Amino acid sequence: MKFKDHFKEGLLTKNPVTVQLLGMCSTLAITTSLFNGLGMGLAVTVILICSNVLISALRKVIPSQIRIAAYIVIIAGFVTIVDLLLQAYLQALSESLGVFIPLIVVNCIILGRAEAFASKNGVLASALDGLCQGFGYTVALVIVCVIRELLGSGTFGGGILNGGEGIRIIPEGFPAMQMVMPVGGFLVLGFVIAGSQWLMRRLERRNKKKEAV
Amino acid sequence: MKQKSSVLRLAVTLLLITGVVAAALAGINSLTASRIYKNKQLKSWEAIQKVLPEGAIISEETEITDSSGIAKTLYTSTKGYAVEVVPNGFGGAITMLVGISFEGKVLGIAVVSQTETAGLGAVVAADNQAGETFREQFVGLSGVLAVTKDGGDIDSVTGATISSRAVVEGVNAALACVADLEKVE
Repeated sequence: MKFKDHFKEGLLTKNPVTVQLLGMCSTLAITTSLFNGLGMGLAVTVILICSNVLISALRKVIPSQIRIAAYIVIIAGFVTIVDLLLQAYLQALSESLGVFIPLIVVNCIILGRAEAFASKNGVLASALDGLCQGFGYTVALVIVCVIRELLGSGTFGGGILNGGEGIRIIPEGFPAMQMVMPVGGFLVLGFVIAGSQWLMRRLERRNKKKEAV
Repeated sequence: MKQKSSVLRLAVTLLLITGVVAAALAGINSLTASRIYKNKQLKSWEAIQKVLPEGAIISEETEITDSSGIAKTLYTSTKGYAVEVVPNGFGGAITMLVGISFEGKVLGIAVVSQTETAGLGAVVAADNQAGETFREQFVGLSGVLAVTKDGGDIDSVTGATISSRAVVEGVNAALACVADLEKVE
């Protein structure tokens, strides 16, 4: 498979969040500021690439009866390494994401890609798959983050821009607090999934038209 | 015989994988442990500076246990005490420091870490106007405090009574701890 196909799959047609509906727990919980979304997305992408590469390299060594146990050990190892590194060098992000970093171990995206892709494909393809799926996850998170942050806190870029306060777009007092609460997470995620479905249909129709012509 | 060897093979493979992962983790841990420890120290050090008057020099650090289990560490300085308290908030433990003068009055409070709801309970720790207004209410008070809902004088953060109560609980534990200390002396 070519890079372009991988990329399109990760970003849209097989997006881990909006199509495969994997990793919902972290998606709903941490998407309250741009900083959180980018940080979580990057952490998952790094872990996904590392675990995909290692699992793919070991795919002929790991007996199929114990593959899930072996995958989880490998994934947990990488997650713990990232967790420790974040605590040591990026404390602000580590505090902001809290328990959701260690919980990446049970994020279905990682195990899902290990089982569905890395265990059947070569190292390079698996690395590419990790990168594209991770990128798709990050993009979906960032979209949900930006919408929730704007509606819930009235800011853009919270945690990074403007000394961590974010750029204020809606004046204080107007934003609907509910949007950064769990209910807002469900609402926004629903609309983002609907939006991606609409986009996919549109692209499909356009492709068909092209073929017809 | 074949069955047996394959079971053995499974066990050995898994053991090898876990062994390698454990070794890698041990390596990373030894590399980062001291830095993580320093980060945490620095964070609570900054909070101590915030709750004590400028120029306070800490002379003593003691682990304490009170009946409620909320007060954890007592820092004695030249200008007052700082007590680390860990009350339970809405979303887990809130670690905070309470500065208390030798007369037993609150000098200031600072939250070191918390996992309260963003935008509501987290306001008790926020570096914004609302957070500062909430925390400044405590300055100069003593005795047993309570939020207005419980008949006290502390206005809780809008929509976050439980988080506010937790902070009040922490301040009370710190005040009680220092009061006991002064009694003994």
